[in-house]
Amino acid sequence: MQHSLLVFFAILSVVITAVFIFVYQSSLSASEENQGMKNTLQKRGWFLLILVVVLAMFASITIPKSPYFVYAKDIPSKVIHVAAGQFYFMMSYNAIDPKNPSSDPSIEVPVNQVVEFRVTSLDVNHNFGIYDSNNVLIAQTQAMPGYVNRLRCKFTKPGDYNVFCLEFCGSGHQIMRSSFTVK
Amino acid sequence: MENIRLKKITAIWIIAVLLLFVAAITLGIIMRLNQADVMHLNPAKFYEDMTVHGLTMIGIWFVAGMAALNFIMERYVKTSYSANLIALIFTVIGVVMLWISAFVGQFHAGWTFLYPLPLRPLWDSWAIALFLFSIAVLGVGWLIWTISLMAALLRKYSISQVFAWQHLSNKNPEVETPPFVLISMISLIGVLTSLLAAVVLLILLFAEFYTHGSFTNDPLLMKNLTYYFGHTIANEMLYLGLAVIYELFAEISGRPKWKTTWYVTIAWNLTLFFVLGAFLHHMYMDFVQPESLQLIGQFASYLASLPSAAVTVFSIIVAVYRTKIKWSMPNLLFLIGTCGWIIGGVGALIDATISNNFVLHNTLWVPAHFHTYNAMGNVLFSLGFFCWFSTQFSAKEVVDRMRSLKIALLIIGGIGFLAAFYIAGADSIPRRYSNYPSELAAGKSYALLGAVSAMIYLIAIIMFFVNITKRCLKMLFTH
Amino acid sequence: MLKNVVYTLVIITCLCSQAWSQPQSDLREEENIYEQIYNAPLKLIDGKSTTVLQLAEKKPLILALIFTRCSGICSPYLLQLKENIKSQSADATKPFNVLVLSFDSEDSVADMVNLAKRFELLDDNNWHFAITDSITGLIKSVGFHPVWNDNIKQFDHDALLVGINTQGFIIKKLLGMRGESDVALLIESINNEFIPTYRLPGKSSLFSCFNYDPKTGKNTPGLGLLFIALPALIAMLLLFGIRFVVRSKSS
Repeated sequence: MQHSLLVFFAILSVVITAVFIFVYQSSLSASEENQGMKNTLQKRGWFLLILVVVLAMFASITIPKSPYFVYAKDIPSKVIHVAAGQFYFMMSYNAIDPKNPSSDPSIEVPVNQVVEFRVTSLDVNHNFGIYDSNNVLIAQTQAMPGYVNRLRCKFTKPGDYNVFCLEFCGSGHQIMRSSFTVK
Repeated sequence: MENIRLKKITAIWIIAVLLLFVAAITLGIIMRLNQADVMHLNPAKFYEDMTVHGLTMIGIWFVAGMAALNFIMERYVKTSYSANLIALIFTVIGVVMLWISAFVGQFHAGWTFLYPLPLRPLWDSWAIALFLFSIAVLGVGWLIWTISLMAALLRKYSISQVFAWQHLSNKNPEVETPPFVLISMISLIGVLTSLLAAVVLLILLFAEFYTHGSFTNDPLLMKNLTYYFGHTIANEMLYLGLAVIYELFAEISGRPKWKTTWYVTIAWNLTLFFVLGAFLHHMYMDFVQPESLQLIGQFASYLASLPSAAVTVFSIIVAVYRTKIKWSMPNLLFLIGTCGWIIGGVGALIDATISNNFVLHNTLWVPAHFHTYNAMGNVLFSLGFFCWFSTQFSAKEVVDRMRSLKIALLIIGGIGFLAAFYIAGADSIPRRYSNYPSELAAGKSYALLGAVSAMIYLIAIIMFFVNITKRCLKMLFTH
Repeated sequence: MLKNVVYTLVIITCLCSQAWSQPQSDLREEENIYEQIYNAPLKLIDGKSTTVLQLAEKKPLILALIFTRCSGICSPYLLQLKENIKSQSADATKPFNVLVLSFDSEDSVADMVNLAKRFELLDDNNWHFAITDSITGLIKSVGFHPVWNDNIKQFDHDALLVGINTQGFIIKKLLGMRGESDVALLIESINNEFIPTYRLPGKSSLFSCFNYDPKTGKNTPGLGLLFIALPALIAMLLLFGIRFVVRSKSS
């Protein structure tokens, strides 16, 4: 997903740059008599219309894929409770008491089934970022103190998954991590 | 007399901005070298650098835009010299306080100082206070400046004239609103709103800090306020640069001045609203935010791109296409900056799509896109102004000997440095990591590429700095 | 001027929020979520026999566990449930049944008929009163642990509501005496409405931005939202204010 976005972005960047170079070249070779662009208002209108259509298409394709709507109608097979703190993640099959937090030594989640992570923070804002065994970020949600965010995922590949913090939370931000196994 | 004072204070602004820019780039390179494992800073030190780098960059390019705006505004209305001076003094004091709180007090909550991190006992409590006061000082100085510039415009133009509404119904109205005035006003209102959001945020932070936690804030509200302020000011400072382009591009190119038309009016009036809703895209991964606001965030971000692309960018292309232009450093920088600005905008739109944000949020993609429209957009707009400003008062024609070299270095350095960010972002490397864990070790090579390219970019900036500063200093010490 | 406005707002908000009471939830509510409920056979007071899953299949189910001899919480809690449900606006898209089930093996169908009569719910189609001979399996599956106290001849037990969807999964639990908005949230949840967040107990909601309103299924603006609207409002006021001031000065 990320790599196709990168390719998409690279293509657009090259096109935009090419347009600018072309326009610049046309100015260099222009003589005093050249009148520039004709019918600019009409062209502007078309340009705007194309942009609107493209963006509307984008929105209609992408919005249903937003994490708040994906798996919304499923019944998760498992709930994993996550409490983030400076600088650790606690993960447990049972609810984590903020006053007396404790975690399970290892977490296993079933493959190809919807699971729900209930993520909160015990101190500052953190982020629960799930990386697959190829170290690709596949899902995330913020961990905000006082709130629980419910993240639903379906893991299609068994293996070890890492969790990294994706919200700057202090001098130990880069060492904050956890892991779980998909079986 | 008045104009000489304005000229001198603008020259001081320019020197200060460039000096701090070189320093802040250096901090950025240090950060990338540390991530590349070439340098070995202690993580807290890294994050102090990061905090200072971010806030200094936001601060200087904001004041650079404001100083340029103020200088050109004097062509249309009388601006207040004292407000300009107060802003300069407050900015200097604020920046010094900020640097002390970070480098002496070890405050390192990042430039967004997202609640409740700044209030945590990770650093001395005097450092928290000093940091919050430094933001307050900067905020007050900038508020005064913003309000005084708004007042200057409103003294001459009525509310409907300042928004150019008379251009909607009438092709040749009695009172013409130059595009510069319109865009200045739209940007100033946005700046004012973001600064007021910072005031509310600071009041709430101070309330919790001085009641020692007996009053506590709601983290969701604080996060909304943080990005309301942070996103909006970062966005508006680009528009300050655009106001300058609308005024100077045609003039420097030796073409007739741009006029306000009905579509320019509509585009910029709409921009005022779209920009204020776009900050919501920072909260996509906070599922606690209602879905309706998340969708507004995506739509506002999309919509905000329309007037910029269809009006401003299109106008620049129209102005250049098959038109004989006197190319010089300033308008070349404006043109390249516009290109960088849109490319950054595309990167931003990709990330402002909720389903993409799910796998890009807080990876290096985020610094990638905002460095694109800052380092290759806004900075070039301001540098263009600086070049124009520093040469326009000299009697003889200034020949820019190393023009191609400077531009080549800027572009080569810029592309390398940004590509390192984008590719790393697509490779899921998180942002704001002082060191990478072994699984994400790929980040190290990207960091090295970024550091080396940024050094090339820095060389170009130092060349600009030497040139422009020399001319500005001459301006300060003559008359 | 600006500061005064802000301070006034702060004070007003503080005063308003005093009037609010935050319902306390309990961590035990997080247990057994998304687990299948034990399919206990039921004897309904109209004489019919069914099972929990068969009943749930027709409409999502709110399960209330009581015993008729209770001199403690059962009556007030059942009464409150009745009132809370009565105050919900009828929404055909979010149907539900209430199953009032005795966990006391001494209770008979006749006892349950009396209970239904006492609460005037005998003729209400949405309410079912029942007993079961497999209570142990059922209460275990929902994490309900009553303890017989021989001194007072009563069970010590929680006031528990269990929300079950049509597939028989436990979707949400409510512990303790709860308000109508919590009951509404329960009804939303058993109709498989996904709300991607909830609030932890014990946190002040002084300046929170949104409060979930299950009646409409939407978040309603909280007082904190005022603070987000404030900067834009003040900026607009300043715009007109400045114009007014500079014009009156020049004339």
